Amino acid sequence: MTVLKTEAFDNAAIAAPPRDWVLVGLWIALAMVAVLWVAPFVFIIFTSFKSTAAVMGSSAFAPPTNPQISNYVAAWSRGRFETTFTNSAIITVIKVPLGLFISAMAAYALARIEFSGRKMVLVLILFGTMIPFQVMLAPLFTLVNGFGLIDTYPGVILPYLAFGIPYQVFILQSFFRGVPKELTEAARIDGASHFVIFRRIFLPISLPVLAALCILDFVATWNEFAMALVLLQDQKMWTLPLGLSAFQGQFSRDYGQLNAAIVMTVLPAALVYLIFQRYFVSGLTSGAVKG
Amino acid sequence: MAKVRIQTVRKSYGAMQVLHGIDIDVADGEFVILVGPSGCGKSTLLRMVAGLEDISAGTVSIGDRVVNHVEPKDRNIAMVFQNYALYPQMTVAQNMGFALELAGVPKAEIKQKVEAAAGILGLEPLLGRKPGQLSGGQRQRVAMGRAIVRNPQVFLFDEPLSNLDAKLRVKMRAEIKALHQRLKTTIIYVTHDQVEAMTMADKIVVMQAGRVEQIGTPLELYDHPKNIFVAGFLGSPAMNFIEGTVSHGPTPQLRVSETLSIPLGEIPTSVRNRDVILGVRPEDVLPGEPGGIPATVLVVEPTGSETHAALQLGRQTITGVWRERVSVKPGYHISLKFRQTNLHFFDPVTKERLQ
Repeated sequence: MTVLKTEAFDNAAIAAPPRDWVLVGLWIALAMVAVLWVAPFVFIIFTSFKSTAAVMGSSAFAPPTNPQISNYVAAWSRGRFETTFTNSAIITVIKVPLGLFISAMAAYALARIEFSGRKMVLVLILFGTMIPFQVMLAPLFTLVNGFGLIDTYPGVILPYLAFGIPYQVFILQSFFRGVPKELTEAARIDGASHFVIFRRIFLPISLPVLAALCILDFVATWNEFAMALVLLQDQKMWTLPLGLSAFQGQFSRDYGQLNAAIVMTVLPAALVYLIFQRYFVSGLTSGAVKG
Repeated sequence: MAKVRIQTVRKSYGAMQVLHGIDIDVADGEFVILVGPSGCGKSTLLRMVAGLEDISAGTVSIGDRVVNHVEPKDRNIAMVFQNYALYPQMTVAQNMGFALELAGVPKAEIKQKVEAAAGILGLEPLLGRKPGQLSGGQRQRVAMGRAIVRNPQVFLFDEPLSNLDAKLRVKMRAEIKALHQRLKTTIIYVTHDQVEAMTMADKIVVMQAGRVEQIGTPLELYDHPKNIFVAGFLGSPAMNFIEGTVSHGPTPQLRVSETLSIPLGEIPTSVRNRDVILGVRPEDVLPGEPGGIPATVLVVEPTGSETHAALQLGRQTITGVWRERVSVKPGYHISLKFRQTNLHFFDPVTKERLQ
C-alpha cells in the first residue's frame, strides 16, 4: 500500500503543467519587437565611441574596440551645445510645467464647475487638437513676428503652449470627470474653494496622469523641430534639434561626433522618462471610495 | 445642535419636478430617517439641506437661519457619503483634520480634536494610514470621524451603510445609534433600508415619488400606517393585503370570494358594508384551531429564530411568521386565524387607511 501511494505521489510531481503556446508566442513577439527597438540605440551608442576610421572599418553593430570619449568633447564644443542645450532646457522647463498647470486648471473647470457655454468651450478646445500645426506655420510666423517675438523665448513658448494644451485638457478633463463627485462635495462641505479642491485633492489624485503627460510633453517639446526652425532664426536662440541638424551638414563625414551629439540630445528625455515612469504605477485613487 | 425646518420645498430639473412640496420639522437633537424606494427624492432632499443642490422653491432653515443661499461650508453641517468620499492621498488624521485646517485652526488644536474623535470611534491605531489601506468598515468610521471633528450642528448621512456587508451593517447601525446617544447632535439620515429606519430613528419620514407619505415614530408608522404604501414598505416580510367585501350580519366577515370568507372581530363602523383591502402583518397570521381560515402551505423557510411560511389563501399567497417551531410541510392543509386587534383596513380606491 505504501509503495503504491509513493508512486502516485511521484507521478503527480513529475507531471508538468501543459505548455501555454499562446504565451510562448507572445514572448517571442515581445523579444523581436524589443530587438527591433533597441538596435538603433545600440548602433548610436557604439558609433558615438568610435573614431571615423573605426566607423568605416568595422561593422555597424560591432562594439568599439578603442572607445573615443573625445567624440563627446568635440561634439559638445563644435555643436555649440552650451547654447542650444541651455535654450532647450529653458524652453522645456518653462513650457512643460506651465502647460500642464494651465491644462489641469482648465480641465478641472470644464469637468467640475457648472457654467453656461461649458460644452462649447470644450468643443472649441477639441477643435484645437484637430488642426495639424504644419498648416499653421506661415500664419504663426506672421503672428509671432507681428508681436515682435521672433528669436525670443516667449515667441516659441507661447505657440508651444497653444498647440500643447488642447490635447492635455482633453485627457485631463475626461480623467477628472471620472473622479467621484462626492470627493468634490465632501471638500466643499469641509470649506474648500474650487482652487483648494483643485490643488489639494485633484492634483495629487491625478499624479499618474500628470506624470504620463509630463513625459510625453517633455519629449515632444525637447525634440520639436519645425516650429523652432521657423520661429528661431538667430543661431544663438537655437534649440538642440536645430543644432543637431546643422551638425549633420557641417560634419557629415564624422559619424562618431554626430552620434555623440545625438546621445547627448536624447539623454535628458530618457532621464525624465526614468524619473517619472514610476508614477505610472497608478492605483493612487484606490480607497478613495468603495469599489 | 440645532433644529432643521424644511418648508414646502420643491425641486425641479427643467420641467421635471422631483420634489412636490416637502414639509419636515426636525427637532433639536432628533435622529430623523428619510426612507423610501430608489428615486423617491430622499437623497435629493438631503443634498438640498447640505447645500449641494439648489432649492427650486420653499425654505430650508437650520437653527433659526434660512440657509437657502448659504454655502455648504457655512451651514455648520457635516455629511457622510455612501462611498465615504475620503481624500485618497491623505492619511486618516489629515482626512479628519482637513476642514479644521481650511478653517485656520492651529495645528495643536487640530491634533487634539482629531485624537478626541478618533478615541470615540476607536480609530487611534489607524491615524497614520491612508484610506486605501483600510477595510470598508474602517473607512466608514473615518468618514464619521471626519464629520465628528467639525462638531457640526447637524449630521447628514446619505446611505452610509449600503456598501457594507450584512454583518458589518448591523454592527455599524448600533455604533451610529450609540454615537447619537452620546453626542446628541441632530441627525438626518437617508436610507432605502426599512430595517435601518425602524431600528435607528427617533422619527421616520416615509417618502414616495417626491412626496412625504407619513411622518412618525417607527412604531407609530408600523402600527398605524396611513396608507397602503407605508404599510407595505415598513416591516419584513411585508404586510399581507387581502381584497374583499365586509358583509353585514351579526358577525362581520370579509368575503374574499364565493368560497372564502374571513371572520372579523370588532371592526370600526367606517369599515362595515363596503369593499376594503385588509392588511395583516405576517406575525399576526396565526396557526388556528380547525374551522378557521383554510390555507395550504406552499413553502416553509425556517430561519432558526422564527419560521416563515408562504400560504395559499383562496387565489392569493400570504406570508406568515411564527416564533414557535411548527411542524408543517409544503402541501399541508392548515387552518389559520388573524390576530383581530392588529388588523388594518384600507380603501381600495384611495389606498388610504380606514379608521
